[in-house]
Amino acid sequence: MHLSWVTAAWSAAIAACVTIALQHVWVWVKDRSAIDHLVTAAAMLGTAGVGVCELLLMRASTPEEFAFVLRWVQAPVAVTVVALIVFVRSHLHAGRVWLFWAVIGTRVAASLVVNFLVTGGVIYSEVVRLQPVTFLGETVSTAEGIQSPWVLLGRLGTILMLAYFIDAAITIWRRGDRRRAVVVCGSMIIYGAVGVVHVALIHSGRLRSPYLLTFAFLGITAAMSYELAADVLRARDLAESLRVSEAKARESAERLGLAIRAASIVIWVWDIVKDEFWISPETRALRGFESSERITLDRYLDAVHPADRENARERIGVALAGNGIFENEYRFLGPGGERWFSVKGIVERDAGGRAVRMRGASLDITARKAAEAQLLLQREELAHLSRVTMVGELSGSLAHELNQPLTAILSNAQAAQRHLAHAAPDLGEVREILGDIVSEDKRAGEVIRRLRLLLRKGEVSHQRLDLSEVVADVMKITRSDLVSRGITASVNAAADLPAVAGDRVQLQQVLLNLVVNGCDAMAGEPVAGERRLTVRVGPESAGAVRVSVEDHGPGIPAERLTGVFDPFFTTKAQGLGLGLAVCRTIIDAHGGRIWAENNRDGSGASFHFTIPAAGPA
Amino acid sequence: MKDRAPTVFAVDDEPATLKAIARLLRAAGWTVAPYASPAEFLERVDPDAPGCLVLDMSMPGMTGLEVQLALEARGVALPVVFLTGRADVPSSVKAMKRGAADFLTKPVDERDLLAAIERSVEKDAAARRDRAEVAEITERLATLTPREREVLARVISGKLNKQIAADLGTVEKTVKVHRGRVMAKMNASSVADLVRLAERAGVRRA
Repeated sequence: MHLSWVTAAWSAAIAACVTIALQHVWVWVKDRSAIDHLVTAAAMLGTAGVGVCELLLMRASTPEEFAFVLRWVQAPVAVTVVALIVFVRSHLHAGRVWLFWAVIGTRVAASLVVNFLVTGGVIYSEVVRLQPVTFLGETVSTAEGIQSPWVLLGRLGTILMLAYFIDAAITIWRRGDRRRAVVVCGSMIIYGAVGVVHVALIHSGRLRSPYLLTFAFLGITAAMSYELAADVLRARDLAESLRVSEAKARESAERLGLAIRAASIVIWVWDIVKDEFWISPETRALRGFESSERITLDRYLDAVHPADRENARERIGVALAGNGIFENEYRFLGPGGERWFSVKGIVERDAGGRAVRMRGASLDITARKAAEAQLLLQREELAHLSRVTMVGELSGSLAHELNQPLTAILSNAQAAQRHLAHAAPDLGEVREILGDIVSEDKRAGEVIRRLRLLLRKGEVSHQRLDLSEVVADVMKITRSDLVSRGITASVNAAADLPAVAGDRVQLQQVLLNLVVNGCDAMAGEPVAGERRLTVRVGPESAGAVRVSVEDHGPGIPAERLTGVFDPFFTTKAQGLGLGLAVCRTIIDAHGGRIWAENNRDGSGASFHFTIPAAGPA
Repeated sequence: MKDRAPTVFAVDDEPATLKAIARLLRAAGWTVAPYASPAEFLERVDPDAPGCLVLDMSMPGMTGLEVQLALEARGVALPVVFLTGRADVPSSVKAMKRGAADFLTKPVDERDLLAAIERSVEKDAAARRDRAEVAEITERLATLTPREREVLARVISGKLNKQIAADLGTVEKTVKVHRGRVMAKMNASSVADLVRLAERAGVRRA
């Protein structure tokens, strides 16, 4: 059998088109979002259709037959052209939108509307006769006919299509995607232009040749298919690198999780707009939250210890309104009991400055808090021990302070008994006596209260204090001790001192220490004259109050001025050497400073301490 | 002098205690003169006023012991009842050595205080009586002539008139006259009485 090259060539092209089209359809069926594959398949199938029509045209035996097929070839041409430009738009995201619609409009109008309405079709209004030509060694039909005026519409559509391709190519080229610009748009432009010129030459009668559009379209669609295949390869690469990076991300997340668990850190994000917390899953249960429960700010704060709750809420409010940094320490109540957390959060704002999110971490500091509490306890115990020691030293003085009112009470009561024993008792006098007994009893009670306060082993409570009152209290406690040691004490307190925040008992303790030390220092001085102790209370620059205790003893050797505050430093035979060390601890805890210096005039030493003034009440 | 009622002087720097003690002593029938400071008391003290002093031991400015010394220096012989807040042995010993009448610890019961005051006032009265008697004898002694004093000194040493005459280079009869005058001037009823008076006045025997 004689082999027909024409049949072989066109059949091969058609088969190729259909095969590739089916592959793309298959891809689309697998992944419905892969519209580009469907579009490519349409272009391929359109090309196959064109191929079939061209084969039929070459084999046409009558002008009518030729005209009929020529009219119908417009349909696959239209499908192919529309598919091409849709591909450019959807896959390459290029080309002007108005051009896109103009191409579709003119093509549909020319090939599908006008073509089937006007006599003969959009190409020839009439095919006059068939003109056999030799092509690839065999005789095939071409036509000779009267060109339809509508052929210009088709040509306009084709020119617009080329313009659209060129426009898209330029955009893509500029975008830097040169491979696509060359492979896809380049083939579209070249094959398109060749096809157009070839067809125009045939239609104008200048070239006797069968239609070869199939191959032009095949070139273009092959480029499209290549492009999609390249995408598939790229996608595979992407998927691979994604998998690797996912694995890496998972690994680092695991590492982070491990670190978080090891360090007892809780990570949280508060979506302020939705008022919803995300809390790292493994820690939700620790706070008593259900794993799926929605956690609002109120719910979150529910888990905070009631004593800390309002403060935490307030601080969050401050962070939102202010610099956006939330820092606090509070207790969480979980199923496992109460735990301390140090919480830090940072507010994130949108472009308008609105707080939208707060991200933060909470660190479990229960152990640290326990250690701190233990330390505080030890410090308090030490302070207490030192106080008890000091009260012991002062016991004579305190007994005297108690004795005074007791003496007055006893004598008053016995005087009253005597009055009442008279036949006509002076009741006015008795009433007066009873009044005095009451006030002396209260005075005794006051002494006992002060004593109990000093001996009490209680929690440190900071309150607003007037330091001159503290000084006055201490002078009352030590009064009779000073008297019996022949010491003249004077207090020099400035008026209108700012209040300080402090613990009354502890500050009394510091002053007692300093006063007793001052007295001890002067024990060796002659009684007459020089046993003077002065306590001064006055403002210190930078919002603090200074208290000074000045004695006129021998002073402190210069090399010991700083060492006096060290633990176990003592010059007394009976001393523990803790008094001043405890004083320094107390003053440090109050945010103040304590120091010693020798008096300028060379007689005796002064101890000073400062306490920062409290803010306004 | 003998007519003056005894006064209890009280010195305490603690107003409430001072008032209460003064009240008690008044209720017990004493005349009380309270002073709020040692200085005030020392300034106003009348050495002739009979009675006693109730003195607080520890006061600012001046301790009880210092007050005691100051009184001595002024020749005031008031017995002192010390009141102290603390039973401090060294200072109580010191006080007693200097002649404190009593040393009481606060708070003091009225029985102890009143008893101490009673004793002290009595002691003061006795001391005053004693001083008054000696003063009277001394006055009488002052009326004696030198010769009569010489005779007195020998009479109280138990010498006979004859021995005295020999001592003084005179006759027994003259001695007898002197002796009679001495007995009359000294208001002595007997030689024994004269001896007692002379001893009280501290006349030396010869």
